[in-house]
Amino acid sequence: MEQVSSTFWIIIFGYFILILGFGSYFARYNKTTNDFFFSGRRFSWWLIAMSIVATGVGSHSFLKYSAKAYEHGFSSTMTYMNDWFFIPFFLFGWLPIVYYTKIKSIPDYFEKRFGPGVRKLATFAILGYMIGYIAIGFLTMGKTLQPILGWDIYTIVGVVAVIAGIYITFGGQTAVIFTDLAQGFILIFAGTLIFVLGINYVGGFSIFWSSLTPEFKLPLAHFNQPSNFNFTGIFWQDGVAGSVGFLFMNQGLIMRFMATKSVNEGRKAAVFNILFLLPISTVVVSNAGWVGKSISVLTPEKWDATVKLDHVFTQVASLITTSEVVFAFIIAAVAAALMSTVDTLVNAVAAVVVNDVYKPIVKDRDDKHYLKVAMIVSAGATALGAISVVFFNNFPTLYEAHGFFHSTMTPPLVVAIFLGIFWKRYTTEAAVATFIGGAFLMWLGNKYPEIMIAPFDHGIAMDPEHPYSYIRALYNTLVCLSVGVVVSLFTTPKTEAEMDGITVWSLDRAREKFKGSMPNDREGGKPITSWKIVDGQDELVRFSQKEMDFMAAEVGDLVYISDSRGWLGGLKSCHSVYGKAHDEEGMVYLSAKLADSAMFVEGKMVKSEKEM
Amino acid sequence: MELSFARTWLPYIYLYGVGGIIFLAGMFIIFKSKSINIMRPRHKKWFGVLIFGFLWYMFLHGFSILAALKI
Repeated sequence: MEQVSSTFWIIIFGYFILILGFGSYFARYNKTTNDFFFSGRRFSWWLIAMSIVATGVGSHSFLKYSAKAYEHGFSSTMTYMNDWFFIPFFLFGWLPIVYYTKIKSIPDYFEKRFGPGVRKLATFAILGYMIGYIAIGFLTMGKTLQPILGWDIYTIVGVVAVIAGIYITFGGQTAVIFTDLAQGFILIFAGTLIFVLGINYVGGFSIFWSSLTPEFKLPLAHFNQPSNFNFTGIFWQDGVAGSVGFLFMNQGLIMRFMATKSVNEGRKAAVFNILFLLPISTVVVSNAGWVGKSISVLTPEKWDATVKLDHVFTQVASLITTSEVVFAFIIAAVAAALMSTVDTLVNAVAAVVVNDVYKPIVKDRDDKHYLKVAMIVSAGATALGAISVVFFNNFPTLYEAHGFFHSTMTPPLVVAIFLGIFWKRYTTEAAVATFIGGAFLMWLGNKYPEIMIAPFDHGIAMDPEHPYSYIRALYNTLVCLSVGVVVSLFTTPKTEAEMDGITVWSLDRAREKFKGSMPNDREGGKPITSWKIVDGQDELVRFSQKEMDFMAAEVGDLVYISDSRGWLGGLKSCHSVYGKAHDEEGMVYLSAKLADSAMFVEGKMVKSEKEM
Repeated sequence: MELSFARTWLPYIYLYGVGGIIFLAGMFIIFKSKSINIMRPRHKKWFGVLIFGFLWYMFLHGFSILAALKI
């Protein structure tokens, strides 16, 4: 156990109080369940992109990447750098469908596409996936703090779950987005700080670089060796099952994109995140392992070679930080990573339970009732995630626990979503078969890996303890895909009319349905004007004809109005519809209700833009 | 010690070969379904971004392998 003083604890608790306060402040923006889950679809791309960093980094944490980085070198970056292949499917397939169909959850899409039976199967699978993900997050936190506290891992998980539960339960999506925004910056700063301090500790970058072997510095692992970390297995487990799982079936991430003010902003957030923030993030989370290896080569007497792999990060952090304040800050940042992943997922579980389980049973209650249920479910999901830690604690490292989890949980859902969106021929019966038949074949693969999975192993040796942890994703995906395709070919697909606006093949119809009339694609400007409340004004907003022309807008088009201060990222904003033009230039007429929901400040200008 | 092909360039070829097929399949579907329409100026920019992203990662990985082996 590391020796820490009261200063350490003051910083850790100070950090948590700051985050709790931050989340509580933004909780006041929750007026409806729509706000609680989707933040009223109002935010700018940069705010969402930055908040996704904290979600992504949290789920692929400092600990597990530092462990793999120490063990296998720069190839620990692989999982952050293989997400681009599915981006066309996401940006111009799933994202606009999610946004324009106004689905409340992923199971909601399954009902629209296949019917209520498949929705139930999807709900069960998605809840299992997210609770498992929450449990892995809590386990990470337990393993981070265990060397410092010396407490039992389950005690740590319990304490962290209570703290995380409080702000998630009351905060909702807006609190999650803003705490994640703050934590995203903290994470990147803390990770960069570790790298700078680590390089300084070993004597400079050239000494660091030359202390590592060429093999260690390669960015991709060996093609098929060893069984617990090889390129092919990780490509299929993470690059395929993981990437599609994260982009297409992670309800938490989907809700984040649904909180953007438009599809285009969602695209920008996704692209900026994957192109620039992920390469930075991968260095941020892995570098402690590289620095640890360098220290172990250059000054072996200072390195405890018996340390558990999942504790490499903590050892490096305590070695390179001469100040306890810096050490406490870094540990607080890791806590931030965990909180950011867990908060997103807990909010997502609440969305699925309320929309897919509770509402179909308890109908026609007012929105306040559902909001209260959402908060109770958030608390329950946090507790359930903490309890589920027991299962994942059996794996040798967090990385392997996560790899097994992804390989097993994601394929049926991923295949069903993917074929549902992109293949019109995919039928309801095939979707059911994908879940049930796929699960059966996956179970067979798990039972007889040497017979079922071996033909796909690319030469990877089978570890009898944890057979084919990664490459099983290829087998699992292929069997689910095969079942789905074969059953589709022998059953009758829905008609075009029944699938109107819910597949990639009818996106224009989805846009039309979203708007309620034909979209107006003429590009226009974004005027900055004053605003005023006009008595008797209905839910429509009214501009002068000059501003309508400038925006290329017509009566009935959709409009997004936000506070003109860009740094607010859309926090004070609303969506509405253009009404008839008036003749007062430079002024927007709003109803009191609309101005109140947007939280506009008197005397502050607003910026308006036509949607779509 | 000489590093084997399976340790150096084979993973790179597999990544951008198999990954490239997935990427091209995605591009084909979004074009065929008219989800992306490069006649719209905004979509034309997005088409460029999609291609750039693929090349960007190809470059990052390629450069990193060369740096590990040669520098």
